[in-house]
Amino acid sequence: MRPLTPRRILAICGMLAAILFVVVVISLRVGAYPISMRDIVVTLYNGAVGNGDSSEFSQVIFGLRLPRIALGILVGAALSTSGAGFQALLRNPLADPFVLGVSSGAALGAMLSLIIAPHTVGAIQLAAFIGAAATIAAVYFLGRRGGQLDSATLLLAGIIAASFLSAIIIFLLTLVNGPGLRSMTFWLMGDLTAPPPTQNVLGWFGFLYFVFIVAAGAMYTTSSDLNLILTGEQEAGHLGVNVTRVKLVVYVAASVLTGLAVSVSGTIGYVGLLVPHVMRMLFGTDYRLLIPTSAIGGAIVIVLADTLGRTIVAPTELPVGAMTALAGAPVFIYLMRRRIR
Amino acid sequence: MAASTATQRIIAAALSLACGVFACGMRDASAAGIHSQQSATAPAPTPADPAAQTTANKRATKLVTDETGRRMAIPLNVQRVVSLAPNLTETIYALGLDAKLAGDTTYCDIPLAAKEKPHVGAPQNPSLEAIVALHPDLVLATTSINRAETADALLKIGVPVYTSDPHTITGMLGATALMADLLGASEQGATLVAQLQKRLDALHAALQDQPMAHVLFVVWEDPLISIGQNTFIADALRWAGAESIIVANQNWPQVSMEEVVRLQPEYIVLTADHLAAETHEHVHNLRDRPTWRELRAVELGHVVMASEEFTRPSPGLVGAIESLAHELHPDAFAPKAENRKVKIEAGELLYAAAALTESALNSAKGCGTCAR
Repeated sequence: MRPLTPRRILAICGMLAAILFVVVVISLRVGAYPISMRDIVVTLYNGAVGNGDSSEFSQVIFGLRLPRIALGILVGAALSTSGAGFQALLRNPLADPFVLGVSSGAALGAMLSLIIAPHTVGAIQLAAFIGAAATIAAVYFLGRRGGQLDSATLLLAGIIAASFLSAIIIFLLTLVNGPGLRSMTFWLMGDLTAPPPTQNVLGWFGFLYFVFIVAAGAMYTTSSDLNLILTGEQEAGHLGVNVTRVKLVVYVAASVLTGLAVSVSGTIGYVGLLVPHVMRMLFGTDYRLLIPTSAIGGAIVIVLADTLGRTIVAPTELPVGAMTALAGAPVFIYLMRRRIR
Repeated sequence: MAASTATQRIIAAALSLACGVFACGMRDASAAGIHSQQSATAPAPTPADPAAQTTANKRATKLVTDETGRRMAIPLNVQRVVSLAPNLTETIYALGLDAKLAGDTTYCDIPLAAKEKPHVGAPQNPSLEAIVALHPDLVLATTSINRAETADALLKIGVPVYTSDPHTITGMLGATALMADLLGASEQGATLVAQLQKRLDALHAALQDQPMAHVLFVVWEDPLISIGQNTFIADALRWAGAESIIVANQNWPQVSMEEVVRLQPEYIVLTADHLAAETHEHVHNLRDRPTWRELRAVELGHVVMASEEFTRPSPGLVGAIESLAHELHPDAFAPKAENRKVKIEAGELLYAAAALTESALNSAKGCGTCAR
């Protein structure tokens, strides 16, 4: 394999970013409301120079499609990055946010908020985040053995936490009524249709992207060390890597990213597991390349899946979580088989 | 190592730059949103024709708080309505306002003409874009089938969504009158509500001396799902002189067969189309099924089909209540006994024959109730 130069990283990421751009343009263009490419450009330009109008074009572009794309990019990037992080941390190809119980914790938080404060704006997001954080703390505590973060114990603790929390969710589902139950069902399937909980759309997305940058950036600073840890923890230690510190950083960063994604979109499966694997098959296992490519790749997958979800059975919409599972598995199997041959 | 750290920095910088650019775009987006609210009366620079008409209609508005507490400005002169639930579509037709119905859901099938309207998707997950594409002045939703997220998202982009939340038949009548008001048809609304109320009062008078029938209302057969006390169906049952045997706080409780066996309902009420033949089939089906066939109600053939309208809080529900009351309390309506009921028990055949003769006599006299 060719040596990994900054040039190569930028070239590959640039290529993926170009694909993401194309997907975003497609997503802006298609939908139940017909808008020509020219009208999209005019509306975007008017919005960008502060000359927005009240036309239905700007309602659809700025009110419906752009926020959804922005959310899709964020959720896809966050889930894939955290998946890549968990896979390195546990040195287990099956590790992803769901296996570790983080998503179930977030789901339980969301459900409790629906029971306790069903009409409070933003309560679901906050509760989901708290649920994710609490689960992470519990799993981290249970996953330690002799003061060390033990991969196998951590994975086991995560799986047990996930099934325990799922059981509580099923019990609580029988207590939720009417509209709350419907919201919850869609939330559990992964759904990007919920509007931002505040009037300040910019502030909301600014906050979400800020959290993403901080967590993903923190994980990226460990990528060289992660490469060494993947060859063996002891060897990495001999080479001067502070293994405990690196693992802690990756663990916290990956958990924050999961909590972030789950709190705004519900539980979207497959992306955190599949995208890092696909990127490894395509571009190799170096984490300096794997983290950014996973982030962009995840964004591509979610935006594409959501675009398909709102067009293939139009006018009804399919939840994005159903789409990722439907399309993700065959693609993954194809890539896996091809690599074996 | 040094090279890789530099790479990391470059990528981090590129990432944050990209997100910064994106954030600017979003600021413009939200600025545009505020701008659009302020200039709602000014003609838009590049809208399509229908959009311009909608803008003109939106000029005169009134502030309204809906039954879920959401506040919104609704045009005084509503011309284009999108209904997000079958019962709301039905109400619009009952008010004779179907000309104003710009679109409905794929579930809207009563009356049949509702199927011909443009659809915006299923009630729980409609396409918001498809709704906007119909240029509605007002969108109607209900808590009994729609999601709060749908109403929130539409309100956020400036499309008024009025959500009704009826839990009783009286509440349904109130919601009907309110809908008529919103659509500028207060008179039709008042007339319709008065008619329905009169029919309900007559029913109440007829059933006054009847004991409550204890029924199992089956929303779904497998798994068995029934109703809780706070649903409009429970209230509709009370108007029909019946009481659900299931006591639950949930709206749609899942019930074990064991509980049904213990409670032994007098009647089992199923919902489906109004075909009498199906009642017959259903009784036979239940008699073929293990636990069900041991229920006394099934043995006696006390299985009643309520029309599909029974599950929809709309004006048609009153007719469904009347039919069910006739099925459950034939004695109360003895002089004009039902002829549609399918009798299964041999012992009841005699009664059926008598009822048929009765109804033949009645139809000869031109009895309106029986003809219906």
